[in-house]
Amino acid sequence: MHPLERLVNLVALLLESRTPLTFDQIREKLAEGYGHQDVSSAKRMFERDKDILRDIGVPIEVLSTDAWDVEQGYMIDKARYYLPEIAFTPEEITALFVAVRSAGDVSAEDAVRKLLSGVDRGILAGLGAPALMSEADPNLSAAAEAVAENRRVRFAYRNSRGERSDRAVDTFGLAVRGGHWYLVGLDADRGEIRSFRLSRVSGSLNVEGEGTPPPEGFRAADHVWGGPLASEEPSISATVAFSPEVAWWALRGVRGAETVRTREDGWVDVRMPWPAGEQLVSWVLSFGPDAEVLEPADVRAEVVERIEAILAS
Amino acid sequence: MSAPRSSNASRRSLPPERATRSKRKAPERASERLRRLLTVVPYLVRNEGTRVADAAELFGMSETDLLADLDLLFVSGLPPYGPGDLIDVDIQDGRIWIGMADYFGRPLRLTRSEALAIYLRGTALAGAPGLEEAPALSSALAKLAEALGPEALGELPERLDPVGADDRTPGTLSELRRAAAEHERLRIEYYAASGAETTQREIDPEEVFFAVGNWYVTAWDHRSEAERLFRADRIHATEATGQRFEPRGLQGAGRPLYTPGVDDVRVTLRLRPDARWVAEYYETARETELEGGELEIELPAGRLEWLDRLLLRLWPDAEVREPPELRDRVRELAARTRDRYRDSRPRPSG
Repeated sequence: MHPLERLVNLVALLLESRTPLTFDQIREKLAEGYGHQDVSSAKRMFERDKDILRDIGVPIEVLSTDAWDVEQGYMIDKARYYLPEIAFTPEEITALFVAVRSAGDVSAEDAVRKLLSGVDRGILAGLGAPALMSEADPNLSAAAEAVAENRRVRFAYRNSRGERSDRAVDTFGLAVRGGHWYLVGLDADRGEIRSFRLSRVSGSLNVEGEGTPPPEGFRAADHVWGGPLASEEPSISATVAFSPEVAWWALRGVRGAETVRTREDGWVDVRMPWPAGEQLVSWVLSFGPDAEVLEPADVRAEVVERIEAILAS
Repeated sequence: MSAPRSSNASRRSLPPERATRSKRKAPERASERLRRLLTVVPYLVRNEGTRVADAAELFGMSETDLLADLDLLFVSGLPPYGPGDLIDVDIQDGRIWIGMADYFGRPLRLTRSEALAIYLRGTALAGAPGLEEAPALSSALAKLAEALGPEALGELPERLDPVGADDRTPGTLSELRRAAAEHERLRIEYYAASGAETTQREIDPEEVFFAVGNWYVTAWDHRSEAERLFRADRIHATEATGQRFEPRGLQGAGRPLYTPGVDDVRVTLRLRPDARWVAEYYETARETELEGGELEIELPAGRLEWLDRLLLRLWPDAEVREPPELRDRVRELAARTRDRYRDSRPRPSG
């Protein structure tokens, strides 16, 4: 008998049985699968099959078949085996396919296929589309498991300034920003909620046990710095002129930027909210001679000062 | 960092081999075939008369493999395995009917790692700016979380946040994806950070993908007669040409964002802690930790213009080690920038 046939029969048998079946009963019913060999090799084969089924997620239960716990029997709990009905629209299932497709790994795609049976037909369009994302960070699944279970994890970390440290963190949540994943949680040694970019974790996350739960109303996103341009409350209003080459690009990049006027030579004066003078100087300098700060005057002076310093260095 | 960054448009003299995508290993283990069978069969039980070709495509397998699996199913069933106990598989005119298999009428639950993988990848993509499918994706994830419950996902759904990126949504994303799918040549206006200029060019877009916070398109660039990687948000405008092209098999998702070229200059920079983000943002050939949180990096670069501007921005937190001419270039750029401020008087407007 082909191993696949034996496995299919075993799943069917355990799914349809109303009572737990002992190995002897299974061997008797599935005689073609397990009956030909001697008991011990049949038992080994059955154990291997059971491992395979558990590996792919078949919930095999082990129950006692009598009141004295002498014999154990096996069955599959239907409620735990069957995927609950989920009514996905074709658009939703297509979106899931688009999301999980990746160049190197088909397992997530296979997982979405389990969700297909409840969907209307007519979803073939776009199935062969190319992947939109590469592989995720190797620590992401471990971090997600820890968050799902509210665990404390320990890991080696190097912060954005290159400082290394060992961290013990009660995992509260995950946030993704700008294509980077952040683990957010209570830094046990510092007693504060901190965020950790997963790509800066060296090595792996080690689970240390139960963590404390997050505070009421916790949102991971609140603890991930959004960068200078994502700040909600800009502190200054700056006016910067851009050359025609870069103006559209600069305008698109800054939230709340607006064109004040377009000059005859094509230069565009843009007014934009900005949180801090220092970052503005650096950002404007990244455009070289294609940008010029007009206001505020002190930022303009700072730009000139910086340039003079570069020239003098 | 959300201020301008360079995309380092890539160069390659020859098109690469077509990416080999998700080839399954042969011969397959029984466990993999079983997993697939327990997924395919429920679909076929519920969708009577599904075409063999459609089922094979939907479940990512060859027709031969599908038929081989169904062949085994045909002799399976329940004890005592008489004619009335076996699963009924009927294939006629290229269509499939499966009967006597009600117990396989619903698929096996998602394992925890499968549920997590879908949820994480879905959340990451739903947070990518400008994705057309984002609303459908979000509602799909919500349905999934509700149906699977805490057993599969724990408290993850409440604890997972895509943070809105800055407003740099590429308005051209849908058009790029359409053109790539239909193999249509596009005329684009592109802000090339490598030369700090907006240029016109015709491209054959092959693959669109999201990486490190940005959308990219891999394309054949007719201006440089080479493969190039374009950042979608730097594409100002697109215009359809109506011309079809033959794909060259350029690689999309998973490719390095910078492809070394034969003319590359080896650039070595010493970064102070405040400039370390450069090493996280650009692909480096080498990184060496120094004292005091400083980092020495080696970047391969095809052109130096973008580095001039990057260094002007980073000063004094980055120092050029190699090549020495780069220092002169930064100085020259600083002088031209100073001229700009000298020539004009500030004219605050409105």
